[in-house]
Amino acid sequence: MSSSLPSLIVLLPFFGAGVMGFVYLFVPAGRNLRRFYVAVGIGTPLLAALLGLIVVGEMLTLPASASIASPLYSWIAIGSFEIDVAFVVDRLSAVMLLVVTLVGSLIHIYAVGYMWDDQGFGKFFAYFNFFLGAMLLLVLANNPILLFIGWELVGLASYLLIGFYHHDTANITAANKAFLLNRVGDFGFVSGLGLLFALQKQSGFDFAAIFAGLGGIDTAMLSLIGLLLFVGAMGKSAQIPLYVWLPDAMAGPTPVSALIHAATMVTAGVYMVARFAPLYNRIPDVGLFIAGIGAASALLAALFASWQNDIKKILAYSTMSQLGYMLIAVGLGEYSNGIFHLAAHAFFKALLFMGAGAVIIALHHEQDIFKMGGLGSRLPAVRRTMLVATLAITGIPIFAGFFSKDAILSYAFASGHTTIWAIGVVVAFLTAYYMFRLYFVVFVAPNHRSSRSRQSPSLTSLPRSMVWPLFVLAAGSIFLGFWNLPEAYGGSTWFSHELHLADHEAHLRFAKEYILDGFNVLVALLGIAIAYRKFVRPSHPLNAPIHRIAWQRALANTLYIDTLYDRLIVRPLRGISNWQDRLIDPKIIDGSLRGLVTLYRGVATQSARLQNGNLRWYALTFLLGVSGISLYLLIAIGGAS
Amino acid sequence: MSVVLTWIVFLPMLFAGILGLFRVRHTVLRAGAMLSALLVLALTLLTVVQFDPQAEGMQFVRHLPWIFQYGITYYLGLDSLSLVILLVIALLMPLLYLYMWDNPTSGYWYNMLLLQTGVTGAVLALDMVLFYLFYETMLLPIFIMIGRYGHDWNHAHAMKILLFTVLGSMAMLFAILYLGYAHYNFYGNWSFAWHDLARLPLDPQTATWLAAGFLLAFAIKIPLLGFHTWMAAAYASAPTPALVILSAIMAKLGIYGLWRFGYGIFAKVLHLYEPILLALSLVGMLYYAIHAITQNDLRRMFAYSSGSHLSLIALGVVLANLYAWSGSLYLIATHALASAGIFLMIGLIHQRTDTVQIDALGGIASVAPRFAFFFTFFALSIAGVPGTGGFVAELLIIIGAFSVHPWLGAATATTMLAAMLFVFWMLQRTLFGAPAPSVATFADLSRRETVMLTPLVLLLLITGIAPSLFTPIFTPQVQEMLLQFIHAAGGAS
Repeated sequence: MSSSLPSLIVLLPFFGAGVMGFVYLFVPAGRNLRRFYVAVGIGTPLLAALLGLIVVGEMLTLPASASIASPLYSWIAIGSFEIDVAFVVDRLSAVMLLVVTLVGSLIHIYAVGYMWDDQGFGKFFAYFNFFLGAMLLLVLANNPILLFIGWELVGLASYLLIGFYHHDTANITAANKAFLLNRVGDFGFVSGLGLLFALQKQSGFDFAAIFAGLGGIDTAMLSLIGLLLFVGAMGKSAQIPLYVWLPDAMAGPTPVSALIHAATMVTAGVYMVARFAPLYNRIPDVGLFIAGIGAASALLAALFASWQNDIKKILAYSTMSQLGYMLIAVGLGEYSNGIFHLAAHAFFKALLFMGAGAVIIALHHEQDIFKMGGLGSRLPAVRRTMLVATLAITGIPIFAGFFSKDAILSYAFASGHTTIWAIGVVVAFLTAYYMFRLYFVVFVAPNHRSSRSRQSPSLTSLPRSMVWPLFVLAAGSIFLGFWNLPEAYGGSTWFSHELHLADHEAHLRFAKEYILDGFNVLVALLGIAIAYRKFVRPSHPLNAPIHRIAWQRALANTLYIDTLYDRLIVRPLRGISNWQDRLIDPKIIDGSLRGLVTLYRGVATQSARLQNGNLRWYALTFLLGVSGISLYLLIAIGGAS
Repeated sequence: MSVVLTWIVFLPMLFAGILGLFRVRHTVLRAGAMLSALLVLALTLLTVVQFDPQAEGMQFVRHLPWIFQYGITYYLGLDSLSLVILLVIALLMPLLYLYMWDNPTSGYWYNMLLLQTGVTGAVLALDMVLFYLFYETMLLPIFIMIGRYGHDWNHAHAMKILLFTVLGSMAMLFAILYLGYAHYNFYGNWSFAWHDLARLPLDPQTATWLAAGFLLAFAIKIPLLGFHTWMAAAYASAPTPALVILSAIMAKLGIYGLWRFGYGIFAKVLHLYEPILLALSLVGMLYYAIHAITQNDLRRMFAYSSGSHLSLIALGVVLANLYAWSGSLYLIATHALASAGIFLMIGLIHQRTDTVQIDALGGIASVAPRFAFFFTFFALSIAGVPGTGGFVAELLIIIGAFSVHPWLGAATATTMLAAMLFVFWMLQRTLFGAPAPSVATFADLSRRETVMLTPLVLLLLITGIAPSLFTPIFTPQVQEMLLQFIHAAGGAS
């Protein structure tokens, strides 16, 4: 069936962005426009969320394989390259639609409080709405080209928002890095699409047509396409080796980190793999590779997170680590588990970032956790909601993360990928450790520093719009898990069932599942206990750790990967560029041309020397000429006769 | 209707003559120039409306005898390939006059009027001698403008561009004359009409040599890698309006020549040059982009950026399939718009700060947000961000390359990275950070400047958001040209 609502949902935020951007640039400043920005900036996401709920409600009444199409216009039609601007809401995009609009709306509301005093309030909401539109374009696109356009535009929004505080060049450097690394991924993505199109024999390039024509392409080529597409996901979802932009992306305002770099944009890679499930189901080897990259990234990021002191960087690495889990899931073919973890993660990670943002604002932009301490009693609402989110990400039973993460791990175990399962468990342990390290140091442990140096620093009181979205997200972090209650706990995996994706099947006996889950919980509790021992009951006064040992220093500096990229890519490119400027162009190309000119001049000068006005010289050449010609005549003509 | 092209070509020259005869004041001169540009734009839009995309061959043809003895004719005509470039010229001229509005140097205005006649004539001429005349005369106003109104070593740089391009056109002139003579030898009468020359049954060796003459001229004009050392020098010295014409239009005429005459006349032997052209354009695309990274002069940086994109366009032409050709034609237009925007804004920076050295700038976004927005927009358009026309064009060329061979496709897709290399670092150092001393009093865009830049922004957005509005104008004829080329090339083997 078709409906115009999905198109409207996508267009609304773009419209809001355009209006706000225009007003920001062309209406003279000084007038207080904040009310206008608030009305438009919050109005469009809320309206989009409302329409989204209506569309999804309508869709749930349809059979699971049905979808709601929303064609808008023909984007381009050259030869068999026919691309429409058309949107589709099926079960998969419905989940994404709800996550993006609901969590997005909450973060928009939160941002009103967070950004209130900022000079660029209007600009911020213009960018924020633009991001939302681009993200909806990405998830609702009915063909991969449109998806790619959304994919690039969210990257652009991310660039603009990371560099939002553009007075500081460091922020712009971070923004550039994000865009560049994403573009490296996009280079892979677009190559995958180009190859797919070249091999596609059917007409039409929307998802349905592509999946119908996959049988005509040989497996080696399909694997290449799958790999290339996944290179795009490596960039967007910050996986090895393209992840280094994500921690730096925290330079943006905290609502940006919550919405773009935790809840939505970075999950686009996971969504893309799930969207291309019919393709990846044909190439399980590539799927295993994806799961491997996911597992390695999850582990690496968890290690990094355990050694960071910046609250936002801890959360950034945590995001990368959780994205690793999701990629394990979609790589192994358990798409609905991956998407479920994506949805649950959107709630608790957005909550963690927003809580962190509240702390940062309350402490006047302090981000080092070891300069916080003992905030629990002074920010009780933030503390409680943060605790919920921390328990959720740690995977403590009844919280959303328990169900979503354990489903992924027990599937990995059941399908025989025990190495990946083991890595997942180690990551779960580390997650519990670094998350509670954060929680304990910020909220529970007494604030040594402040009691010593300055008497309890003044706290800014938080505006209401920054507090109550936390409670909504906390509720989600608690109850979302019950939507996908596994059969072992008396549920029916309603969510996975309704999602209707081409999942691989693998089942465990209930007893085994209880043992695995119990083991996971024990591991998590162990992590919490160690964090408690180290940071709440420390044997010596709590201070920012000083890393003396080489490997600790290396981890705190995230293995010097940035430096490595700088040495291997950035500097050589600049070197080549200079070399072209100083050597190739002027010396070799112009030089050889100048050589020609010099040669020409030389010949000309030499010829000019012959004309020297010396009569004897003329007589001599005349004589030589005449005798030469005579000689020639004698030999050539005389000899012939 | 057949005289409309004559009006389009000669109206600016006519205005220059009349205005010059009366030695008018600056205010009358600029109004007259603007009027001529707007009239040409109106006539051009009229031809667009009247243009039949489905029809084969040239339209609005004007074919009159001129020099009987040698079969040289006054022969103008247009197909979708020339239409796109014509449209770009007609659109840009009023904006350039808007840029020059307060410039009282009258020689500047006359040169621009003559320049328009030169470039428009070159796009519409179908008699090779006529084409050659326009191709050469359009260089003279550029030469004079760089030499008289330019900056930084302008005399030397004006000489350099003149010598380089004249060298190329001499080779082409020789080839043209030889072709006319060959026509006389085969058929007993002289002709320089391109469709007559395309039918000549030349032996492959001669054709190869003659093609080299044409290719040399166009390789220098584009410029392809190795023929480019005039480029950065000329761009750095050219005054802004001349620079816009240089990058947005004249460089495209090199592509146009390669396309119309290289592929139109020498289809049979062109496959010999294809590997070379392919390598030069592919390597050039990245070579120029890398070269741009460390340029400190904004004009030089975007000179190399321009070179990189022109190499991509040339690559699309060499790939010779429907997607690549459509993409190249689309990129001719969208790159013209984007580079016009960026060079105009670099000119505005020069007017305000007296410098275009990146290390002397910085923090413009803090003092002039509107300026920063437009500048970022054009820079991102050059980088081919989706939503702008450049993305559509690049995507089509990439797809065209993948249709030829996967490796070629992957190599072409590196264009996605090429512009990234320098654009973002440049933006960082010019727009962001703490305001540099030179931009302390940097004025934001004035109303006239906003009016000048807005059409470019809107067009780039529309070409990016709804390419289907434009592609039907040219795809049928591109398809037709492609069939003719394949047919002609196949005839040889």
